[in-house]
Amino acid sequence: MKPESIQAQMNKIDRELLVLLQERMGLFLRSTKTGAADPEAALKKPLLADADQMNLDLIESGFSNRLLQIIIEESQRLKNEDRPLVAFQGEHGAYGEVAARRLVPGGAYIPCLEFNDVFDGVENGQFDLGVVPVENSLEGAVTQVNDLLTTTGLKIQGEAKVPVKHCLLAPETTDYRDIRMVYSHPQALAQCREFLMRNKLEPRPYYDTAGAAKMLARENPKAAAAIASSLSAELYNLNIIKEGVEDGPSNRTRFLLMSREGAAGGNKTSVIFCTPHKAGSLYSVLRLFAENNINLTRIASMPLRSDPENYSFFLDFEGAAGDAPVDDVLQKMTALTISLKQLGTYPADEA
Amino acid sequence: MKDLKLTARNASEPTVITVGECRFGEGLVVVAGPCSVESEKQTIDTARAVKAAGADMLRGGAFKPRTSPYAFQGLGLQGLKLLAKARRETGLPVVTEVIDPRDVSWVAEFADMLQIGTRNMQNFALLKEVGRCSKPVLLKRGMYSTLNEWLNCAEYILSEGNPSVILCERGIRTFETYTRNTLDLSAVPAIKELTHLPIIVDPTHSTGRLGLIAPMSMAAVAAGVDGLIIEVHIQPEEALCDAGQAMHPQHFSRLMGRLRSISAFMKGETDEAGKHSSTNE
Repeated sequence: MKPESIQAQMNKIDRELLVLLQERMGLFLRSTKTGAADPEAALKKPLLADADQMNLDLIESGFSNRLLQIIIEESQRLKNEDRPLVAFQGEHGAYGEVAARRLVPGGAYIPCLEFNDVFDGVENGQFDLGVVPVENSLEGAVTQVNDLLTTTGLKIQGEAKVPVKHCLLAPETTDYRDIRMVYSHPQALAQCREFLMRNKLEPRPYYDTAGAAKMLARENPKAAAAIASSLSAELYNLNIIKEGVEDGPSNRTRFLLMSREGAAGGNKTSVIFCTPHKAGSLYSVLRLFAENNINLTRIASMPLRSDPENYSFFLDFEGAAGDAPVDDVLQKMTALTISLKQLGTYPADEA
Repeated sequence: MKDLKLTARNASEPTVITVGECRFGEGLVVVAGPCSVESEKQTIDTARAVKAAGADMLRGGAFKPRTSPYAFQGLGLQGLKLLAKARRETGLPVVTEVIDPRDVSWVAEFADMLQIGTRNMQNFALLKEVGRCSKPVLLKRGMYSTLNEWLNCAEYILSEGNPSVILCERGIRTFETYTRNTLDLSAVPAIKELTHLPIIVDPTHSTGRLGLIAPMSMAAVAAGVDGLIIEVHIQPEEALCDAGQAMHPQHFSRLMGRLRSISAFMKGETDEAGKHSSTNE
């Protein structure tokens, strides 16, 4: 091994240690919300005992004790800061985290494997807030999230329209001319379809954009790159080969900030409703908005998973629950629909 | 010349090739910039200077075909990123040389036009590859090549499906040693007779002498060229490549003024000639 590659390997391990510590801090903060007495007290003993039993000849128990003590002290300090816990789907560096940082500055951002982990976690109180993508300007609705909006009880507290600048990332040792495969979330791959075709690159679906970046950094598979945010490049020490590889010039994703209580107020309202299967029933609902001069900002339909051939309709409009015309429309809607779910009134992102 | 199915002039009108807002084949397009991309500051500063002087497009090498393998080979991918950044800052479209077929699609991702250098004019694998990409190609004349060989190389690109080729006369090797090469200005009207493709002149590499660049640029415009590609460096004496033949932005700016006047005069002449020929008919 050359001296410079030994140094590079150590740098890589240091970065990984920091990312792992970040994840551990997040898990600890999450555990404090579960109501368990003092989670660290329970963890402390077995962990220290393990360090002794692992036969790590270079890690003496005195050192591991000191190290863990420092980590525990830092965890406690973070706990006392009492930052809001904000869940997003994906690994650190995901676009959800980019959106979460914008929506809740100064939060603690916790990665979740799946969208329903975000919704469940907020519902059962492990997180204060959740950030989820609802639609993208190139690819349309994020169906899984829209489905969870219909089935869970969370309210919308805010929204952010986040410009999505995809980057092609690869480890430093990978020559861009050798790249043949590109790992990323299927949505991201779809948003960069033309770029991939132009350069004869094979798309490889992965569960998350940042997850793909993390995997590249750890495993360094041959001839592979990832499509992810520039934040991921920083976190996982990858080279940005090209910035802005998405096909459309204005690739934006709209994220929703979800909470248990919803926002105190705002100028935009979202509802989901189902109408009976008879002629003109959808029209009769939409007519109410036209007659009251309420501007619709989104209308989308999605098949009901529980009831094939029936659809739920997603409606976003300008106006707040509590305003007379809006309340009037909502009240009349109740009579015209099978179900009507109010997701809340919140401040619109005018960006 | 009968094999030039797509390149030959025949009865077709001269082709106009659009790169960003530049239109090669319609008026005078001036491309300027450093021989090679050396650093962010050098690239952006030079781009701003040539823009201010009135250039239409930026040049700059990221991959350098050097005579010696030990000479500066260019910044590669990093250089391409800097050129893209210079375009964002100035709005000038960018042309850069590609020397490896494996780089073609990547260079096309960053640049607005791909240059095939004189040493690669007959690199047929490379010609075919740029023939398959969607960006216009600037095809420099090989330093030992006849017009016929040159046009056959354009035919290679056209036959692969890329219709946008701009030819560039950059001097040929003769027994003269005072100049780096001998600028073959007669190629400009000759090419206009032979093909519908636009032609530009590189007065920098053809002469290799700073003092000759301005006169030969003006002569080329008078000869009816569609554009010029001139090396300009913010600090010519410190250039990593071909130092001593790059113009200072101030001199370039003065030259631009003269070139625009000659170009306007020549346009009047051509219009006048056109009028006469139509009355003769």
